Amino acid sequence: MATAADSQDGEEATPSPNSSENGTFECNICLDTARDAVVSMCGHLFCWPCLHQWLETRPTRQVCPVCKAGISKEKVVPLYGRGSTNQQDPRDKVPPRPAGQRSEPENNTNFPGFGFGGDGGLHFSFGIGAFPFTFFASTLNLNDGRPQPPSAGTPQYAEEQFLSKVFLWVAVLFIFWLLIA
Amino acid sequence: MAMEKRLQKELQALVNDPPVGIKVDADQIGQNLSEWLVNVDGAPGSIYNGEKFQLQFKFGSRYPFESPQVVFVGPNIPVHPHVYSNGHICLSILTDDWSPALSVQSVCLSVVSMLSSCKEKKRPPDNAIYVKTCSKNPKKTRWWYHGKQCYHSEYKTSLLGMSSMGINT
Ligand SMILES: [Zn+2]
Ligand SMILES: [Zn+2]
Repeated sequence: MATAADSQDGEEATPSPNSSENGTFECNICLDTARDAVVSMCGHLFCWPCLHQWLETRPTRQVCPVCKAGISKEKVVPLYGRGSTNQQDPRDKVPPRPAGQRSEPENNTNFPGFGFGGDGGLHFSFGIGAFPFTFFASTLNLNDGRPQPPSAGTPQYAEEQFLSKVFLWVAVLFIFWLLIA
Repeated sequence: MAMEKRLQKELQALVNDPPVGIKVDADQIGQNLSEWLVNVDGAPGSIYNGEKFQLQFKFGSRYPFESPQVVFVGPNIPVHPHVYSNGHICLSILTDDWSPALSVQSVCLSVVSMLSSCKEKKRPPDNAIYVKTCSKNPKKTRWWYHGKQCYHSEYKTSLLGMSSMGINT
């Protein structure tokens, strides 16, 4: 195939610009020939700028536009064609997601009621029928490098215990109401 | 502009190679690519066989990353449990399940297939209330896709989009 484009007498030497064969290498988002191409683990081809914009559009639910498989910046493979002058990873070109998009809480309140989240994020979602919706849409990141919670016995500790109980009760009431509604 | 370039491609593909029962009038669209009318035929073998419908598409500048507004317009709005008499359609790909890999063509085909799977011509049970209270833009409605039944509430009046759940059961 590599020589087909150069050969003068081959049948496939002059494909029409609209031939459906070309569609194989079109981005699934802009429908144009993929530039700075990346391919997902599920095998779907995109321009990196197009896919990046989609991942930014729904940061909490990153799925392949074509097959809905999970997808992420780290799990796509850049494609380098023969003779391409720029071998830079396209994922480095688009400015990486701004680190400060998620604002930190004002104080270092911790929520022991939800305290099973180690150093990772805790994401709450449940759904009705075919429509999963996000409960407390932001991700609650616990213990990610912020100051440790105050030790037991201090007034601050008591206040946080109280806050977390209020929070928990709101959540319980909410779920209860959802069940009876 | 990415949105116009993509719409141009979609339009060209639909004009050159239209699927059965779907017709788009390129002259009517003309220069303003952000609003299309698409003629859709009820599928043969379905209870809408022989009927003609018209879908209106409105595209925002963030298309295809955001879904288009799609409603039935014209004199014939299909009588269907997921289609309100004002033309609004309860179909998950038009809001929550939208993907930029979808297109005008795939939306039209989904709508036709939604119509085809219907056995009885019936309006949604909450049609009267909804038509009176809804926003003009169906995307402002918080739809609930729950089995065969559609639920909705207005974004603006709802806490976490749930306040009017249950009023229409
Ligand atoms: Zn693209
Ligand atoms: Zn995929």
